[in-house]
Amino acid sequence: MKKDLLMRNPLRQLGYGSEDILADGAFGAILARAGLGKTAFLVQIALHTMLRDRSVLHISLDDPVDKVSLWYQEVFNLMAKSRQAIPSSDLWDHLLPQRFIMTFKVEGFSVPKLRERLTDLTEQDIFHPHTLIIDGLPFDGDMGGLLEDLKAMCGETGIRSWFTVRTHRHEEPGPDGMPPQLADLQNLFDIALQLLPDGQDIHIRQLKGGTGQDTPLRFDPATMLIKAD
Amino acid sequence: MNKDIRKVRNIGISAHIDSGKTTLTERILFYTQRIHAIHDVKGKDGVGATMDSMELEKERGITIASAATYCEWQGHEINIIDTPGHVDFTIEVERSLRVLDGGILVLCSVGGVQSQSITVDQQMKRYKVPSIAFINKCDRSGANPFRVIGQLREKLGHNAVALQIPIGLEADFEGVVDLIAMQAVYFDGDNGETLRIEAIPEAIREEALQRREELIDAATMFSDELTEVVLEEKEVSEELLISALRTGVLAREITPVMVGSAYKNKGVQLLLDAVNNYLPCPDEIENVALDTENDEAPVILTSQNDDPLVALAFKLEDGQYGQLTYIRVYQGRLAKGGTIINVRTGKKVKIGRVVRMHADQMEDIEAIPAGYIGALFGIDCASGDTFVAPGLDLTMTSMFVPEPVISLAVKPVDHKAEINMSKALNRFTKEDPTFKTHVSEETGDTIISGMGELHLEVYIERMKREYSAVVDTGQPRVAYRETITAQAEFDYIHKKQTGGAGQYGRVAGYLEPLADEEFVFESQIVGGAIPTQFIPSCEKGFRRCLAKGPKMEFPVTGVKAVITDGASHAVDSSDKAFQAAARGAFLQAYAKAKAVIQEPIMKVVVESPTEFQGAVMGSLNQRRGMIVGSQDEGVMTVIESQVPLAEMFGYSTVLRSLTQGKAQFTMEFATYRQVPQSVAEEIAKKRSEEKKKVA
Repeated sequence: MKKDLLMRNPLRQLGYGSEDILADGAFGAILARAGLGKTAFLVQIALHTMLRDRSVLHISLDDPVDKVSLWYQEVFNLMAKSRQAIPSSDLWDHLLPQRFIMTFKVEGFSVPKLRERLTDLTEQDIFHPHTLIIDGLPFDGDMGGLLEDLKAMCGETGIRSWFTVRTHRHEEPGPDGMPPQLADLQNLFDIALQLLPDGQDIHIRQLKGGTGQDTPLRFDPATMLIKAD
Repeated sequence: MNKDIRKVRNIGISAHIDSGKTTLTERILFYTQRIHAIHDVKGKDGVGATMDSMELEKERGITIASAATYCEWQGHEINIIDTPGHVDFTIEVERSLRVLDGGILVLCSVGGVQSQSITVDQQMKRYKVPSIAFINKCDRSGANPFRVIGQLREKLGHNAVALQIPIGLEADFEGVVDLIAMQAVYFDGDNGETLRIEAIPEAIREEALQRREELIDAATMFSDELTEVVLEEKEVSEELLISALRTGVLAREITPVMVGSAYKNKGVQLLLDAVNNYLPCPDEIENVALDTENDEAPVILTSQNDDPLVALAFKLEDGQYGQLTYIRVYQGRLAKGGTIINVRTGKKVKIGRVVRMHADQMEDIEAIPAGYIGALFGIDCASGDTFVAPGLDLTMTSMFVPEPVISLAVKPVDHKAEINMSKALNRFTKEDPTFKTHVSEETGDTIISGMGELHLEVYIERMKREYSAVVDTGQPRVAYRETITAQAEFDYIHKKQTGGAGQYGRVAGYLEPLADEEFVFESQIVGGAIPTQFIPSCEKGFRRCLAKGPKMEFPVTGVKAVITDGASHAVDSSDKAFQAAARGAFLQAYAKAKAVIQEPIMKVVVESPTEFQGAVMGSLNQRRGMIVGSQDEGVMTVIESQVPLAEMFGYSTVLRSLTQGKAQFTMEFATYRQVPQSVAEEIAKKRSEEKKKVA
């Protein structure tokens, strides 16, 4: 089942050279309006990373540990179902140690605090993250300083980071198509993917990195899974 | 009995062990004239505090079992559930919290918010219990109630506001200033029973005015009327201020704080006023039952006497007249002579004697109305059972009872202890569905099983104290089990045809792993290869193999046995022969089915001050734990992990020393998982040593 899920990773079709999509220390963003499935999208990226035996540190500024855990379980089950397989508890048990969830209150999250937590984990050989998932960072506020500090930290450690960025229906994007939340910060990001609803479908557009166009991928709102056209 | 439900309070008094809550309860009973003399907690006078009715509690000065008692204050009926303050007695605490509507959080004015205060507060939060706080021991050296109010805000996140300020502190503690009525209150008489009201001493008048401003400011959040009065700079009436604060307390958005010294008889009467004024009556609380007919869907109860009965038996005690069952009625009326149904057993029960309890004294009553707490005699039930009117299928607690994960051999030291132990175990298994007992076939020892090391320790201690049953205990044993990980075929002939009646049976088929179920048997026999009457014999034969696995004699689970072929003999085949054939087949296939040992994995949640979170994670990691995540909650961090039970023995001591006693942990069964090879080898070694000893 693991092999099957790996082989059919739809993200491979995004056309990046590396299976990691992001290079060492690079930033990626998933932009979408509230409720379109940013978390589910990132959890899939995380699960595909874990399937390749890379460890994922999931930082949530919205949800408690239990809820994040449930996201993973749910998306894993959906991925298995989409392959007509019964979710394997052995594979799930094998994947779990590759994931660590940290939750913070938005106001309590800072890079020095994260560094301290990471040091606790790595120095005691408890967990060495390969990829960071940061869900719920309020990009409407002034995030420049925090992101720059984070970039510096990731540069030192080589950790890749994915972020969810919440956009708003009423806000016009800039001339380059970039929503205002990322407009001034885009130099920090190597890849930006946007989820765009179109009738019953959700398209995935590459705002930065790749071709800068709609990808052959869709995000299925019914199953919350990434699918190839 | 009071008929006005608005004048009923079901409250709990929760606190850290040494914050003096049993003394406080004793004083409450004294001032409400339920008792006529005051006794010390530690029982210097040989009587002991009235609420601690268990011997162990009297000796240690702590409260383990939650006794329920009632008293009356200013026309209100107050039922007090005395909840345990120690984190280990979780079942008791949680049952108590399930039946009460409001709580008094007692804190020590010297010790302040300690780790156990954090735990009981968490439990109150989980059950959404509105609370008020009482800062006790203001007469002690080092008393500083305002530091404690600060801790209530910072450490527990309460919106704590002072309703009173102390007049003097430590040895000079004389009385309190009531910031609502703006008067000084002193407690005169031998036992502080006479309240003397005076003007606020000039020296603290300024402070009192400032604290009252703060109180009014906090209360305006809950009343537009009060806000208007404040904005118009009119006089704030007592009623208006109390009503605004009550709204805040019921929403769990404000915690009024009182001060005093129960031991020195100061401040208790005002605390009772506060119970009446701020804590909810039963119909202000939403109680939810689960519909057993509808996948345990939640159903909101009404607290009306005319509706069908729903009641929860939350505590059992051995009284001199037989089993006493403490019960809370949520909906309907539980009357003497009526018939009710025990939802768990489905049995009809006729109600005999109905009483109202006052620790270990009682008063006969005709009925327990909705919202009230009482006790029944002669009802055969277990703790946590729900009773309903015939026709209802509701339960107050989920029917799910986890299987025990740890066991311990207990050996009575003499014949008397043996008899008493049997009585004790009979009682405990009724009280607690997670506590089980059986006799080991191998050693003849009595084995007790439960949900954790401390769980069993408490019962061993209670056996000794309450039943004078002294027992020797063996090493705690983890409930390992065996399962298979691969499909394997069998084709086995059981043949015994030499002399006397012969035996013949052949079974063929395969074993395969099975997720989430213990055992499944399937027959795919066609054409009578095995005669129909012997198919159940095969199943029986397989099932008999499950109790003791061939690998290490642990119970076998997660196996599917499928029979596809077989053969029989017209004369020599029998039930016995096919059972033996199935057993042989099982052993044959099991050897090839890659059997493994599984161990119970516990969900361990540690709540620790943030500065110790690294050390805590390290300690869990060292125990083969997998850390699921950490939740940053400001000064505290909650670490969630999955750790093998076998590694958790003695963890409370380790955690205490790692965190200066400031961290708490809870542990519950999560799942079974395969043990690593090295651990399996160690278990095998231990197992063979034990067998040698028995032999």
